[in-house]
Amino acid sequence: MSMFRAKKLDLGCFVKARTIRDHTKRKVFEEHEAERQALRYVIRNTTLPPRTRATAQLQLSQMHCYTRPTQIRNRCIMGGQGRGVLRAFKMTRFNFRMEAMAGNLPGVKRASW
Amino acid sequence: MLRQSPLRLSQLQASVPWIANKTPAFGCLSNKPNSRTYSTPAKKNGDNEPSLRNPRSLQAIHLKPLKREAQFGIPSCDLQLRSFSLQPLQFFSDFALRAAYFLGLPASGPITLPRITERWTVPRSHFIFKKSQENFERVTLRRMIQIKDGNPETVQLWLAYLRKHQIYGIGMKANMWEFGTTEMSKSLEEVEAKSLESAAPWAHLGQTGSIGESDKAVADILNSRRVKKAADYNYPIHEIS
Repeated sequence: MSMFRAKKLDLGCFVKARTIRDHTKRKVFEEHEAERQALRYVIRNTTLPPRTRATAQLQLSQMHCYTRPTQIRNRCIMGGQGRGVLRAFKMTRFNFRMEAMAGNLPGVKRASW
Repeated sequence: MLRQSPLRLSQLQASVPWIANKTPAFGCLSNKPNSRTYSTPAKKNGDNEPSLRNPRSLQAIHLKPLKREAQFGIPSCDLQLRSFSLQPLQFFSDFALRAAYFLGLPASGPITLPRITERWTVPRSHFIFKKSQENFERVTLRRMIQIKDGNPETVQLWLAYLRKHQIYGIGMKANMWEFGTTEMSKSLEEVEAKSLESAAPWAHLGQTGSIGESDKAVADILNSRRVKKAADYNYPIHEIS
């Protein structure tokens, strides 16, 4: 969403609309994480009055979808791809292969066993 | 006989002046002893004043690192070194042991910990050619150095020194233990005070930030204007007892 998006480009990796969107989601989630957790705590705490818990529930469901952790998707830093991204290198499998063969990833070698 | 000969030659080379190296190595050793190879530096420098030996600390560089013996054997620090290549790892663990010796810390190690092998299999090209794939691996080598009976301050100094002279391609991880007296109430207070004290020298060693008082933080968040406004509440949702 545009209201969350940074006014100035604040990304160092491969830039396309989806990477920017994902980056924005990450930032928004980080900003609102404590609030989300607090509401979750209120909802689950059975010692609190039911009204409080119900309100917290409503409040949580009314928060913007960008504040949800499930909105975050790992993307390739080299090509912005959203599938087949290796977590250890933040890269797609093909980019990973290219970088590994070029020797840009420390310690990664072709294996045979 | 043949296997021993290069060894003996290398021993000779250490004591014999440079001229001896010019002699054909394998020929002379198998047939007859060359007279020049057995000339000692003392004989050669006979008319000059005797050569000074290197200082012991300098000589020690070529030997195994010295170690101090632990009196009680209580571990006070575990340092783990990690690398993808062997040479810098060995070099740095050696360096760490020497540093520990000269700081007066009884160190044991380097203990070789199991290697961590990570493997990835990726298709060589598009997904339809899944049949031909390629394997990659990354092997992390690990060494552990344990400090026993170390004074916490000295151990911190040692760690900071290692951190200062860290070389590329080496990762470090340290666990430290401090021991106090057996009196519970007193020792707990002391530990708290000490942890506050030790926060300053440790600041550059870790990447941890203090969370603060979590209870209060949660209450603050719950009572924040944003939540109240969203929930249409006029009284505090969460109160600290």
